[in-house]
Amino acid sequence: MIAVDGLQKVYGDFAAVVGSTFSVESGEILGIVGPNGAGKTTTLKMIAGLIEPTEGTATVAGYDASDPEMRQTLGFLPEESPLYEDMTPRSYLRFFADLYDVPREAAINRAMDTLDRLELEHRDRRIGDMSKGMKRKVAIARSLVNDPDVVIYDEPASGLDPLTTNTVLKFTRELKASGKTVIFSAHNLYHVESVCDRVVIMNEGQIIARGTVHELRETYGSREYQIRADVSPSGIEAADTTIRGGSLEHLFTADTIAKADQIRETIDAANGTVLDFRTEESTLEAIFLELTGEPMAGSRQIQDTAADLEHRGAAGEAS
Amino acid sequence: MTDVLDRLKNAIGSARRRLASVWRIARWEAKRSVGTIDRRTAAFGAIIIVLTAAVVGSVAVAGSAGLAIDRDIYRVGVDADNPYYPVVAESSQLAPAEPNQEALATGDLDVLINHPGEDVVTWYVAETEKGSAAHSTLVTSIDRYNERRMADEPNESAAYPVRVDLQYVSRQSDATTPGGSDDGTQSDRAAEGGSADTAEGTDTSDSSGDGTAGAASDEDRSTDDSTGGSIPSIGGQAFGGSQSGSPATIQPPFPFGSLLLAFIFLVPMNFVIQAYGGTMLNERINRRGELLLVAPLARTTIIAGKTLPYLLAAIVLTAIIAAVVGGGLLSVLAVIPIALGFLSATFVAAMIARSFKELTFVTVTIAVLVTTYAFVPAIFTNVTPIALISPLSIVVMDLQGEAVSIGEYLFSTGPFYAGSAVLFVLGSGIYREEDMFTQKPIPAKVIDALNAQLSGYASVGLWTALFVPFVFTAELLAIAILYVAPIELSIPVLLVTIALIEELAKSVHVYAGYARSRFERRLPVTVGLGIVSGVGFFLAEKFTAIAQVVGLPELAIGQAAFAPTGLTPTLAVGLLAAPLVLHTVTATITAVGARDGRLVYASALVIATIVHAAYNYGVVMLYA
Repeated sequence: MIAVDGLQKVYGDFAAVVGSTFSVESGEILGIVGPNGAGKTTTLKMIAGLIEPTEGTATVAGYDASDPEMRQTLGFLPEESPLYEDMTPRSYLRFFADLYDVPREAAINRAMDTLDRLELEHRDRRIGDMSKGMKRKVAIARSLVNDPDVVIYDEPASGLDPLTTNTVLKFTRELKASGKTVIFSAHNLYHVESVCDRVVIMNEGQIIARGTVHELRETYGSREYQIRADVSPSGIEAADTTIRGGSLEHLFTADTIAKADQIRETIDAANGTVLDFRTEESTLEAIFLELTGEPMAGSRQIQDTAADLEHRGAAGEAS
Repeated sequence: MTDVLDRLKNAIGSARRRLASVWRIARWEAKRSVGTIDRRTAAFGAIIIVLTAAVVGSVAVAGSAGLAIDRDIYRVGVDADNPYYPVVAESSQLAPAEPNQEALATGDLDVLINHPGEDVVTWYVAETEKGSAAHSTLVTSIDRYNERRMADEPNESAAYPVRVDLQYVSRQSDATTPGGSDDGTQSDRAAEGGSADTAEGTDTSDSSGDGTAGAASDEDRSTDDSTGGSIPSIGGQAFGGSQSGSPATIQPPFPFGSLLLAFIFLVPMNFVIQAYGGTMLNERINRRGELLLVAPLARTTIIAGKTLPYLLAAIVLTAIIAAVVGGGLLSVLAVIPIALGFLSATFVAAMIARSFKELTFVTVTIAVLVTTYAFVPAIFTNVTPIALISPLSIVVMDLQGEAVSIGEYLFSTGPFYAGSAVLFVLGSGIYREEDMFTQKPIPAKVIDALNAQLSGYASVGLWTALFVPFVFTAELLAIAILYVAPIELSIPVLLVTIALIEELAKSVHVYAGYARSRFERRLPVTVGLGIVSGVGFFLAEKFTAIAQVVGLPELAIGQAAFAPTGLTPTLAVGLLAAPLVLHTVTATITAVGARDGRLVYASALVIATIVHAAYNYGVVMLYA
């Protein structure tokens, strides 16, 4: 559905994007992650036909990105999508539907359906009087007013409260369920991990890794087996020792299942009890750190968001 | 055949869809713009406007009724049966009072008029400065009173025993107008449009008193007929009204009133462009324009849609003003290109400004420049053809009921139409994501705008040619400004000014291309760009031939600015080839400078200007 081949954008002496090549299949959600200045937004705007590439091509649904007809099949949500604050959501969406030649009745029905799914009330209130989350929902509804086959969302949940974020992420998954192809860019790796089928990691204008989250873990991440026991046999060294419930608890780690089995057997031989056995895999953030050597902007927010969701009883939805 | 028809159908369908989109955006823009002003503010503004109009109207009505700050300032002692009583009573500055010698002495009266006998009238004037002023006012009031009485006299020949008809004509010229006969008959533009009524059957004499004026009138009339046959006139009526009175009270036909009325057309433009510039800049600063750019619309459709409401507002305001001041369709047609000029320049300003402060600065500059260009030349309406470089002159002529030929209309408005089109194209070049939402200094944005239009050699030649309307406009403005200066000063200054303007037009986009690494820096490429630019300018310069239509080269200063006439064929061919060589050489000089950076470009521009000015001087000397 989307094919990007050797996309490059150079501003004077600065290369914003260097030779990006990837594709997105129909009905797939591709996440693009990277730190600030990695070239994510430039890449998305080149695909949307907003920025002319210095080199390379991007096609969407068979149309070249520079073809205005392509935009008929595209829904684009920029990172900053300021709205016309003196309009109501209804009139705003109707205007954009007109621009896309969508029949008025169909446009209204579609817009209202989208706003229902996004749980937006107060549709006749001035947009200027709405909260940031409500405005973002209107912007998302605007991106779907032409019922596009492809949607490109640049940081759709950036700066939103946890509940709205959850709604937006859930809605994005629904888009995939309805057969739409989605490119989703985010700083927040939790968002990407929870929504995307595949991920492209960009840094300094280049794609440095790609694949499903599982593939990325397999290729770039690590797996650790953690065994907690009430004894610490000689011959194996505990990674950590804590006191829990008045008793000592020892943590042993292994990087392969064979070594983990060996540790367990040693604990059994020492008449100890395995209190807990779990597998810990690298997070996308850890992989990103490994690849780029720098923390993601917004990585702190990942924990905050998860904690907030848990606090509000929405952890199940977010995990 | 079917293929052609299909293509035609597709083209029509596409055009209709595009127009529909333009209309949608225009309606939305209009609705939104109106919506941004809250009802209270709108009501408050309306009240202020109504109050202002009421106050101005009251003052005007009161003024016409004789209200003045110097009302009854002088007290004149005069009896009711005194023949001078009506003079004093009708004068706003004089107040009649009981005639009393003592009052004159104490300063309670300024003038005392006694009427002891039927034929005896004695004046006493207080020996003060106020007394002298009162006396002077009284004398003037008597003259006016007598003029009014004579004007009211039913028997005109009794009031004015000697009648002289005055006919004001434009400056005579040596050249024939293109529409005139080719037998050397002199044209008289002022005679066009119906001065025949005045000339016919009247003993007309001019100030020379050589007795040839009557023949000249006949000749004028025949020339007028022939001109009318080749260049149809639009909107013409009989020239002017008539005035009668003593020779001292007859004013020359300086179109002050019409000029002021014409100026009124420019005032609302400033409000329109502020609103237009604001909305365009808002789209950039708030990044709202991005959502329109990602819609399936061409950039030109978006720009046209967003501009249309403001153009229509300007047209409606112009039509209303025209209706109020007595102008016709011609006035509206003359003001539309000015409105386009304002809007296009504001559009470019909104595309390059980084803030509302910068936008205000640029739009005020634009307003001053365009107003100057439109207003200053119009002062000379009916005096010199130079006035026609301003569309306001067309308005003045329309208000005076004077005829305007299509050639004159195109001459006045053509540069505005062409210039506006070029500015819109330039602005649309940077109406894109990469330029709209970046913050750069204005010069850098201008360079971006120029660079966006360049793609190769041909584009350089094309844009040089497209700058010619601006060159034409700037040169005409220079002529209009220097027109009043002594010719010893105006000609040399004009030659250098014109050289600088033309060299700038030939090189500024080449500089922009090099500044943005559009062109290779190899010398053959640079020379090629210079040659292409020079040739482009040479070809487009022929556009200035339109100046001949209204006889501008008849003036010495016009000859210095534009191609001279009346040359021998050999000289004409030489002068045709020489500019081509000049333009390519100087454009190459500046292109080489542009390649090597700003300072070298500035130096090259100076050199090219000197070469060009020397050439201009040589041509003028040769022709002289």
